[in-house]
Amino acid sequence: MLRGVYSLLSDSEHFEFESAHHLAQALSDLDSITIALLHMDSEEFAIWCGLGKSDARIHLLKLIKEMQQARIRVQGAQLQLDFAKNQPSPKALFRSLTQLALVGVACDLRQVQRAWLASTRMPLSKKWISQCESIRVFTGRGDLVELGASAFAFHVKWKGVRKSDPAIGIARNHLVMDVGGVRRFVELPAACSRMEAGSVRLSKNKFEVDFSVKESEWPRL
Amino acid sequence: MNDERDENKSTSDLGSWLISMGAPLSITELMPSEITGLDVAPIVSMLGGVGIRSGLRQADTAQTAVDEIRWLHIID
Repeated sequence: MLRGVYSLLSDSEHFEFESAHHLAQALSDLDSITIALLHMDSEEFAIWCGLGKSDARIHLLKLIKEMQQARIRVQGAQLQLDFAKNQPSPKALFRSLTQLALVGVACDLRQVQRAWLASTRMPLSKKWISQCESIRVFTGRGDLVELGASAFAFHVKWKGVRKSDPAIGIARNHLVMDVGGVRRFVELPAACSRMEAGSVRLSKNKFEVDFSVKESEWPRL
Repeated sequence: MNDERDENKSTSDLGSWLISMGAPLSITELMPSEITGLDVAPIVSMLGGVGIRSGLRQADTAQTAVDEIRWLHIID
């Protein structure tokens, strides 16, 4: 059975992951590596590779392109869950589908219900069908809103976000959402690099990150 | 100890690391040999700000997973 982020880079048309969580984790790591490579300039990459600068640039761009294409392939792929070997609890299933939605992968709930029935001989309960139906794929975007002279908030909508109990942080110029170790990165507007992030206000279907302007970075005339 | 050293050695280049992570052997044919033969240690430090959980570790200790995200306080 294949596993891990680089399985996604393979040109195979069929991947098997141990669980939905493992696939979500692999996509999360793929995004992490892509962001790291995007932050590496070709000179650093050349030193790393021991190659000439122009060769290194070509290889760096090729590697980034392969990773981006892998992500597109996975997002466009047909996902099939099979519970024959690994039977999660309905709660764990909901969690895994939420993690997949966080990294941009949708799941056909009818297929999930059929697979569940085939494996357990019991239908998924109406309560959990309803819970799973409420999951929405995260689009990975947000908006910076001005609240005052030196106060801003970055609004991110994701239906049911409070239920997913995320951790939220900042890494370089990205906001990081972490649900059980699966991470999604949202690029922040350039202006945020001159601001200090504060608390996060979490509500049912969105969250807002407070940003305050660093006066030292914005000298007033 | 020998096993630990062997493990560190076996995952010190990108191609070996990919395979140790469960990628098929053919993965090394998908990228130029200059890439697959690279030492993974420098990229680990580049990854410090984003945090990788599926196997990459700090190059100097080979033990601690990299994670330097600044987590924010959440108000419900």
